[in-house]
Amino acid sequence: MVGSTSNAIVVEVGLKPSILKAPIYVIQKIISHKFLIRNLVVREVRGKYRNALLGYTWTVIEPALLAVVYYFLFYMLAGNPDELYAMWVLIGIIIWGCFGKSLQATVSSLTRNKNTIHLVYFPRIVFPMTSVMANIVITMMSCFVIIPIMIVFDLPLTIHVLLIPASVLLAGFLATGVGILLAPLNCVYRDVEHLVRFIVRAGFFVSPVMWTYEMALDRGIFGNVAMYNPMLTPITLARHGLEGHATTLPPELILWTIGFGSLMWLIGSIVFEKYERWAVKYL
Amino acid sequence: MKQSVIILENVSLHFPKIKKLSTLFTDLIRKRKTRFTALKEINLEVKLGEVFGLIGKNGSGKSTILRVVSGIYPPDEGNCKVAGNISLLAGIGTGFSAHQTGIENAILYGSILGHNEQEMTDKLPEILEFSELGDFIHEPIRTYSAGMKARLGLAVASAIKPDILLIDEVLGVGDPQFREKSKKRILDLVAETGTVVIVSHSFGLMKDICDRVGVVHEGKLVMVGSPEEAISTYYEITE
Repeated sequence: MVGSTSNAIVVEVGLKPSILKAPIYVIQKIISHKFLIRNLVVREVRGKYRNALLGYTWTVIEPALLAVVYYFLFYMLAGNPDELYAMWVLIGIIIWGCFGKSLQATVSSLTRNKNTIHLVYFPRIVFPMTSVMANIVITMMSCFVIIPIMIVFDLPLTIHVLLIPASVLLAGFLATGVGILLAPLNCVYRDVEHLVRFIVRAGFFVSPVMWTYEMALDRGIFGNVAMYNPMLTPITLARHGLEGHATTLPPELILWTIGFGSLMWLIGSIVFEKYERWAVKYL
Repeated sequence: MKQSVIILENVSLHFPKIKKLSTLFTDLIRKRKTRFTALKEINLEVKLGEVFGLIGKNGSGKSTILRVVSGIYPPDEGNCKVAGNISLLAGIGTGFSAHQTGIENAILYGSILGHNEQEMTDKLPEILEFSELGDFIHEPIRTYSAGMKARLGLAVASAIKPDILLIDEVLGVGDPQFREKSKKRILDLVAETGTVVIVSHSFGLMKDICDRVGVVHEGKLVMVGSPEEAISTYYEITE
């Protein structure tokens, strides 16, 4: 009651630790607000599949239908693909979808939540984290589609199947860094949102969704350039996991992806912490 | 001499205006203002245990002051210091999710207001009782009337026990019986909380509960004094 504040220390509102500590500060905030993040993720996931007869099965149906369409397209263009090709496309769509949707959702996370931002204060990093985690949850549900696939194609269930959830997390992680870097700028100019939507569409073709890492190996210079796409690693890892063997990706490629993601997270969290307070005034 | 728990020193706050490519050059030539000043050099100290009121016309900056204190907008100039944890009651029911049940929304809203899991588990029975929703609490809140949503929101919001409570026009929801009950609840909350800053247009309430009242006009804190003085100043400057 009264008096409980008498010994409270007077602190300046909105003071932030130094810029270099921002990445750690952000992680601390995420951990201390995990209850809030969990509730917001549930709201987002439930909201997405509300009033749908098929409900959460849409998480599986959507990528499966897309895979059928792309299989047909590839069949028309190249003729007679490998019998596992449809499966490669399907897992590619799922992992790429996780990245693309997470990225779009993080970039627009502050603008979509402007009503909440105007009325309550909690660390704003909660908004992009909620977007990423909701998409990771949805993608994990999509991954159940691999169970019938494994039965149909008679694929061995090995420990390597764990590569699939790992790649989902990796794809989400890659999207987070880039997303939080752009989210404050999107408050000022919504152009960012439109640009990102284009990048996600174009990236679909530049990333190994319709093609595979193995196909790119013997394509000379273009194939070599394609190896620097950070999304090559998660998609290929998931495919190898589904095929049930250890990955044949060179370790330096995996390291490059993780390094790229960490660098983006570092830059992204510094930029986000520095500019979100200024950016929300534009909302 | 009591300790000051909210200190605003020369606080100014500006809102930027969004530039468009098409008007970028004409703006430069005409030297159009690129920002809007919402608060001008606000100096204010609120003491421990005080109930402080803020009055002023719509758009004068009352709510903005509360938002600066709660941390939503950091000041552009000057600084704002507080002692103790703060809770801002504004826009009751922010973040409600229409297709989740009353209970789920109570927990969601509670966590938005800054409660952890343990606190929400402890407070849930009290919240459900105060909201008077009965079995409706298990229905999705898209089936609720506006008054029912407001009741649930107020039940959650008033279950908080912060050191400093900021209230922004949250009275006057629901039917007359509930309005009485919610007014009493807010007054209890005010009585229990150490320090309260309240923004309201109901001057009767201000006279009843406030120790001091400040008048905000066009982004400036014009005067601070007893409720009677402040209300008469308000009428003078808004004539």
